[in-house]
Amino acid sequence: MEKTVTSIENREQNKATARILTVLSSFASNIGEFGISELSQHLGMTKNMVFRAIKTLVEQDYVVRDPSGQRYQLGFRVLELQNTFSPEPTFRTLCAPYIQQIHELTGETVSLNIRALDYMVFIDGIETRKPGVWRLQIGALRALHANASGHLLLAFLEDEAIEGYIARQAALAAVNPRSSEIPLDRDALWEDIRLIRTRKYATALRQSSLPMLSAAFPIWDAENNLHGVMSVGGPNERFGPQFPALLDKLLAIMDSLCHRTRLYAANAGSEITL
Amino acid sequence: MKPAKRAAINSSAVHVFDVLRTVSNDAKPAGVSDISRRLSLTGSSVFRALTTLEATGYVSRYRNLPQFELGTMPYLLNRALLNRFELNAASRPYLGDMAQETGETVSLNARLGWYSVRICGIYGSRDIYHRDRLGELAPLHESLAGLAILAFLPEADHLKMLEFLDETGVKKPSPAAWTQSKDKIAEARKTSILTEELPMSPGFSAVAMPVRDHTGTAIASITINGPVFPSDKIPKLLSIRDQLEALIAKSPKRFVSPFAHIPANKIRLQNNKTKLAL
Repeated sequence: MEKTVTSIENREQNKATARILTVLSSFASNIGEFGISELSQHLGMTKNMVFRAIKTLVEQDYVVRDPSGQRYQLGFRVLELQNTFSPEPTFRTLCAPYIQQIHELTGETVSLNIRALDYMVFIDGIETRKPGVWRLQIGALRALHANASGHLLLAFLEDEAIEGYIARQAALAAVNPRSSEIPLDRDALWEDIRLIRTRKYATALRQSSLPMLSAAFPIWDAENNLHGVMSVGGPNERFGPQFPALLDKLLAIMDSLCHRTRLYAANAGSEITL
Repeated sequence: MKPAKRAAINSSAVHVFDVLRTVSNDAKPAGVSDISRRLSLTGSSVFRALTTLEATGYVSRYRNLPQFELGTMPYLLNRALLNRFELNAASRPYLGDMAQETGETVSLNARLGWYSVRICGIYGSRDIYHRDRLGELAPLHESLAGLAILAFLPEADHLKMLEFLDETGVKKPSPAAWTQSKDKIAEARKTSILTEELPMSPGFSAVAMPVRDHTGTAIASITINGPVFPSDKIPKLLSIRDQLEALIAKSPKRFVSPFAHIPANKIRLQNNKTKLAL
């Protein structure tokens, strides 16, 4: 009996500890300070639970009160939690759990894509086991105008840079009409770019023997540039009807990912890391 | 381990943080029995702690073995912490100019209590370079970056720092070493520059210069580490540093440390380098 009580207590203690760690994780973003009510709302915990967690974190100096004494900010003792023998997580490592979450939510193929000059490159992802799938080829290149991810990567460039891309593609097509599988329609591309800039994500319906729908979401950096794009898609007949209902959840997952990626600058090639 | 002053609000959480710090300081992924032995905790306590830490992203399993390494979350927290220093983003263009000018590694070290912490840095263009890490901590008296800060703190603060070292049990500098440091500090006050030869790399040199606010008090320092440091570059580097100080003087409140409201003596940190007995 005593053993049972002890093990229940231990389980409870670990639940409490997991809550403490979850509260601390909320500070892993560029939002500097939180109040108890905000954390409670954000984490779906009672104010009392959050208060107890914060009390322990303050006691351990992982969280400190701000100068007003009313709100809480990340504490200096977090600096003890780093390992000089292992490298800082890469962009792919940061995105991996979110690729998994989106795949579990939609059941469709998910890919992580970045821009390399005039191309989009698949750098990670999960291919669905369902019939009729996007082929996920890690390392494969696609012209930026060829799909939703590419349009999204183009949309947040300067207008001049987009016109430069269009001109280069036109020059390529003049030399070799088969240079791109999908011809570039300048007006349609600009129309889509304006839509993407307004709603902050892209969709594309590819008409083929099996019409395919894809949606692409931006992954922002510390300076409002793009690290890359997360894309999900499948046969329109299957993914099309469920997409509107899933959109809010997809945006929430991406918002959570961007809280992390916004801690890093996309063009930080020569910067020292942790 | 953290003790009397930090009463255990939740003893399970205290054990979990002890386990997390052990994983943080290990050169190799750590197993349950190893951590258990070092912390004098039962294997089941350590196992439960690691399970909780793994579930929340603080540690991750190493190659599917029963060994653990630091997960993603602590790195994100450290990034978030360093981003809270306004000087971090603001100093990047200036550090970039210095890295371009010298080809060497340039870092900005902010004052945090009686420590200096590297909050930002840019590598230069040389193939052979000095590798640094963000978040590196050192007591002010133990590093060139720290001495450059100490040089532009009031004398009374030097005494407070020595008292802090006494109080926390940190190894104080010997009288001879402190005299040597004071000489360097006096020289820095005249020239605004400190230099040293780096150990293990004969001929490699390091240079540090204070970054001061509008009152002339140091809030940070810039260090340049590299194989060959050309002394004729110093005037140019000082002029770039002056531009950063001018930016700080324009809006001093913006650049106040996010921990300025906490008394320096309350900021106590421990890692492989600082080895504070708390």
